[in-house]
Amino acid sequence: MKRVLSGRVAGFDARLCWLFVLTFAAAVATARGEDRWLHVKVDDTDREGEKVRVNVPLSLAEKVLPCIHAHDLEGGKVKIRGDVNGIDLRALVDAIRGAGDNEFVTVEDRHEHVRVAKVGGDLLIKVREDHDRSKVDVKVPFTVVEALLSGGSDELDITAGLRALTAQGDTELVTVNDHSQTVRIWVDSRNTGE
Amino acid sequence: MIRRILLVMVGVALFTGLVAYSEGAVMVYVHEKKPEGHRIWVPVPALLVDLGVRFVPEERLRDALRDLRPWLPAIEAASHELERCPDGLLVEVKDRTDHVMVSKGGEMLRVDVDSETDTVHVSVPISLIESVAARLDTSDGSV
Repeated sequence: MKRVLSGRVAGFDARLCWLFVLTFAAAVATARGEDRWLHVKVDDTDREGEKVRVNVPLSLAEKVLPCIHAHDLEGGKVKIRGDVNGIDLRALVDAIRGAGDNEFVTVEDRHEHVRVAKVGGDLLIKVREDHDRSKVDVKVPFTVVEALLSGGSDELDITAGLRALTAQGDTELVTVNDHSQTVRIWVDSRNTGE
Repeated sequence: MIRRILLVMVGVALFTGLVAYSEGAVMVYVHEKKPEGHRIWVPVPALLVDLGVRFVPEERLRDALRDLRPWLPAIEAASHELERCPDGLLVEVKDRTDHVMVSKGGEMLRVDVDSETDTVHVSVPISLIESVAARLDTSDGSV
């Protein structure tokens, strides 16, 4: 009886052990599967034909940035240099977030057309130069903007921004197209670029 | 008797090699692209590098670390995080003449450079980068 019981207990322990191992393996696999990658792709079409590709896990950037203490970067936060004309960026972002989808800034002259708008949960910046020969599109989710501005009034919290970006789905952040260069910065769950 | 001694010597050499390379190896390959250009291939056991750094006198380290010290925690954190990343290309820069790639393959960080004049391949165990950075970071910081 005792042997049967101890056999059952041993069997139960083994199953429990396997269950624990499988759960742990699944958790690790899920965690790895959720890794987000920041990709940078630069293609120069001029004579040098330079090509740059960067694929960095956001978790790596998130861990490394707080360890860097150089120039304006301190503990994952970067000091905003230059005059922001006394504008409280956080209050400005709060106001924009509370407002509906809208175009907030439009600047037009003969060569340049700049547009800043809120569409869905994203802040959009579009710059067009020389009759669309040069196009710059920046799309930053509002949660990321808020995270960036969550530090002091004169600093951007890059680590918090990265953390917020990790929580986003696949996101196209920056696209630049001009006559000699194309740049694309985006986040997705693949560890390879295109 | 001589046969036994030889066997023991071979055994000791094999064992030493196995221990030395148990932590992987730093591989450096350089090929000069010119007539009669040299081809150099240097495998250095990671264990030897790790031990070597531990025995470098502090005063020698001081000068070498002056510029590197602020970056050591970042290097340590990066290598720790890299170890758990899937394999793949991390950085690639290519122009008309040069091609540089930094990638992760297995437990190694690889740097491949192909230029007009040379081909260079370097691979380093990521765990070695982490342990060396940690060792340097904890060395006497009075620079």
